Amino acid sequence: MIQITDLEKFYRTEEVQTIALNKLSFGVKEGEFVAIMGPSGCGKSTLLNILGLLDDPDGGSFMFNGQEVAGYNERKRSELRKHNIGFVFQSFNLIDELTVFENVELPLIYTGVKPSERKKKVEEVLEKMQIMHRRNHFPQQLSGGQQQRVAVARAVVNNPKLILADEPTGNLDSTNGNEVMDLLIDLNEAGTTIIMVTHSEHDAKYSHRIIRMLDGQKVTENILA
Amino acid sequence: MIFNYIKIAFRSLLKNKGYSFLNIFGLAIGITCASLIFLWVEDELSFNESFAKQDEVYYVPTNQNYEGEWRTFYSTPGPLAQDMLDEIPGIVKATRSSSEERLFAVGDNSITRRGRYADADFLDIFSLKFIEGNREDAFVNPEAIVLTQEIAEQLFGKDEKALGKVVRVSNKDNYLVTGVIENLPKNVSFPFSWVAPFERYSEGAQWMTEYGSNFSDTFVELSPEANFETVDAQVRALIGKKADFTDDYAFLHSIKDWHLRSKFEGGEIVGGRISYVRLFMIIAFIILLIACINFMNLSTARSEKRANEVGVRKAMGSSRSRLITQFISEALILAFIAAVFSVLLLALLLPQFNLIIEKDLSLGLTNPIHIVVLLGIAIICGVFAGLYPAFYLSSFKPVEVLKGLKVTHGSASFIRKGLVVGQFTISIVFIIFTILVYQQIQFAKNRELGYDKDQLLSMRIDRDFIPKFDLIQQELIRTGSVHNATLCNSKILSSGNNGSGFRWKGGTDTEDVLLSFRNVTQSFFETTGMEIIEGRGFSNNVEADSAYVLVSESLAKMMGDENPIGNIISRGEDNMEIIGVVKDYVYGDMFDSSDPVLFLHYPNYARFMFIKTKDGVPVDQALSDIEAVLKKHNPAYPFEYTFVDEAFNAKFKNEQLVGELSQIFAMLAILISCLGLFGLAAYTAEQRSKEIGVRKVLGASVSGIVKLLSKDFLKLVGISILISIPIAWYAAYNWLQDYAYRIEINWWIFVVAGVLAIVIALATVSFQAVKAAIANPVDSLKTE
Repeated sequence: MIQITDLEKFYRTEEVQTIALNKLSFGVKEGEFVAIMGPSGCGKSTLLNILGLLDDPDGGSFMFNGQEVAGYNERKRSELRKHNIGFVFQSFNLIDELTVFENVELPLIYTGVKPSERKKKVEEVLEKMQIMHRRNHFPQQLSGGQQQRVAVARAVVNNPKLILADEPTGNLDSTNGNEVMDLLIDLNEAGTTIIMVTHSEHDAKYSHRIIRMLDGQKVTENILA
Repeated sequence: MIFNYIKIAFRSLLKNKGYSFLNIFGLAIGITCASLIFLWVEDELSFNESFAKQDEVYYVPTNQNYEGEWRTFYSTPGPLAQDMLDEIPGIVKATRSSSEERLFAVGDNSITRRGRYADADFLDIFSLKFIEGNREDAFVNPEAIVLTQEIAEQLFGKDEKALGKVVRVSNKDNYLVTGVIENLPKNVSFPFSWVAPFERYSEGAQWMTEYGSNFSDTFVELSPEANFETVDAQVRALIGKKADFTDDYAFLHSIKDWHLRSKFEGGEIVGGRISYVRLFMIIAFIILLIACINFMNLSTARSEKRANEVGVRKAMGSSRSRLITQFISEALILAFIAAVFSVLLLALLLPQFNLIIEKDLSLGLTNPIHIVVLLGIAIICGVFAGLYPAFYLSSFKPVEVLKGLKVTHGSASFIRKGLVVGQFTISIVFIIFTILVYQQIQFAKNRELGYDKDQLLSMRIDRDFIPKFDLIQQELIRTGSVHNATLCNSKILSSGNNGSGFRWKGGTDTEDVLLSFRNVTQSFFETTGMEIIEGRGFSNNVEADSAYVLVSESLAKMMGDENPIGNIISRGEDNMEIIGVVKDYVYGDMFDSSDPVLFLHYPNYARFMFIKTKDGVPVDQALSDIEAVLKKHNPAYPFEYTFVDEAFNAKFKNEQLVGELSQIFAMLAILISCLGLFGLAAYTAEQRSKEIGVRKVLGASVSGIVKLLSKDFLKLVGISILISIPIAWYAAYNWLQDYAYRIEINWWIFVVAGVLAIVIALATVSFQAVKAAIANPVDSLKTE
């Protein structure tokens, strides 16, 4: 599904150039659950942003479903993103002014799904995430765990082929964290590919494969299952 | 999708109540202010529109040459109307006309009203709408009079028909009511309450039959097919053709220009009230601009709060154009709320505004044009104010904002500062202008007038009053309330009658000098307080004085005679000896020097009586004493009077209007700007809360922090002051050029305006600064 080869990303300030990704290469098959680990500043989040088509690499190749997407413009990336990729962020990133239902509905609006169908899909996914009773609440009225479940619901409502999770349990206590991880496992078992960046060895153990990074490079790769 | 925008906009408004209030209130004030101006402009533009023939009706003024300068007068030679009708094929109707005030009485009911003597064509030219009688027969009877519904009801009562009834005019003539017409609306240039056949006015007057004198007004109607240029050229040539002794010429002045373009210089239209209309339109847009700037500033200042949303939406697949649409929609919603709010403000403020501008404007919410304009203002404001924030906010990169990186403000903060400078520049220009206009009005009001306008009453009189004057004067003085009384042919403050063709000894080429003349009684100078600086005044004997005149100081100067007493002024066969010189006095244009004046002891032409009340006598008592005397000798006339000092104040109406409006707009511009500044200060304080916390922990004092936070804003106000001074100076300099009698622009005005702006800005900003400075640093430091 994903194949990156010699992927490079630099950050420049006036005086210094920092290498965020240094000729990184690996692949992810459809249906896989991959965890990416490494110390702060090793390039995990940069990698996730590029994989999520939020950012552009400075060099190398990025094949997504057999298509070279490195060098795509913003419009094309946005098009590809909204149909194929769901995001789960550490800080949830729900829109405060929208209710639970409306937050989850958002990706469907951007992909042009009809209102009646939207309602069905959102309710389905809220049911699945066991957050239906909170559908009319605003994010601030929910606990952290509940907020992350809404974020997961939002990420999957469009049935994306790929979910990118950036430390999904980072802001949660262990009980809520485990719940979120269980949700991700369920999704993965249902066929969704998941790439998760995490600091937590515990969470990483849920995955099929752990890629460890340092200074923008892959250091080790452990296959768990 | 649009519902999503509306939903999120409303929730965002409710969530950020303070911010929403600043934005909506600021915009609402801007829209209210602009709407008031637009209502005024609408009224100004609608003048004379009630008359049906907009493309065909013209006034016919004349240009006359005095001392090499063309001056324009509405009066024309008597025969001009008929000659135009006879000799210019494009003219299908023409009327002579004269505007007069008359006393009307039916039984005990009496009122004074201004109206017009005119030819029958007048009724057609102005398409007067008859309620009783009809246009064709109205002027068949030479004793006819056509009344407006208002005066007919006043005289005959609401339920009575006026047609066919007799009304007594000026206590001596009977007129037969042959028609009642609809009342004229307020917005006409030359209002009239009645129309009567012109012959009744000009009966036997020689001057009406010949060229050389200009007494009556002339109106014409062109045929719809006529070519204006052709007809106008023929009109311009006509007087010269008829009277080779004069170079006066007439021309056409369209009904559409009567109200807004009736200022003539050198014989040409140079503008008029239209310049006020333009000025205030510009002000309306400037105020809206200031309000829109607030919106832009507050939206971009709080961009960090929205950055996350932008990031999420982009990550979810929103395109930039969708976000732009979203943000502009939000601005539009805000602008619509502000528009609704401004309707309430308008309803509240319109009565006050009407008092200031002396009009009767109404909100007219059922008028579709008003609704369209209001919506239009809201849409323009929304789109304009939303455009920049929309482009700015939608440009955020999701990678950065979702990572929680600080949005870099480089260009936005520069633009924001620029916009604040813009707002304050405009506000300071308004402040400077307000001070200048006030100064100019006070300057003219306090100038040496040459007479004492206080406790001086002015009363219109008719001819039958004049023989009784001496007796009335004595009785008035005997009441103890009156110092003296006098008669004159014109109001003290107005230009009155004038004429040319005067000659004097030693004068060369003097015949084209235009002199004003005042036909007065002996008591004129004492009553009005005018000072005779040389020679003597008139005696008690009108006959004996018939060969004597007094001249104004400027006339004496113009004659070039060091000792004018005894000099002879001639006109035609008449020779008049100068017996005194009167100190110059101001009349007509209060901002200009006045034409020279000739005083004649000839009260037979008097139209006004002036009464000076005694010092220390209460006004009420003086008035009731005067009324008692007048009722005794002149029972038919209502007791109607004006105070000269009030009439004097009314002379400054235009300037007063500009002054008061500029004061209001200055205050509003500052208020709106301060709302914006207040919001910006709040966000700056919030953004820098951590810095403030750290500084306080390290030992910074409250005053040090207030200074730190206020400094940047004051710098902006300082720049505004520097920019506004040349702009204000240039505008003021040009404005003052219109006045011959004008103030110097003093440097201290700029200092006052600058200090005022700084104080206001400081007061606005320091509230937030102090709040931030006294906050507990623990709170701001633990937020990270």
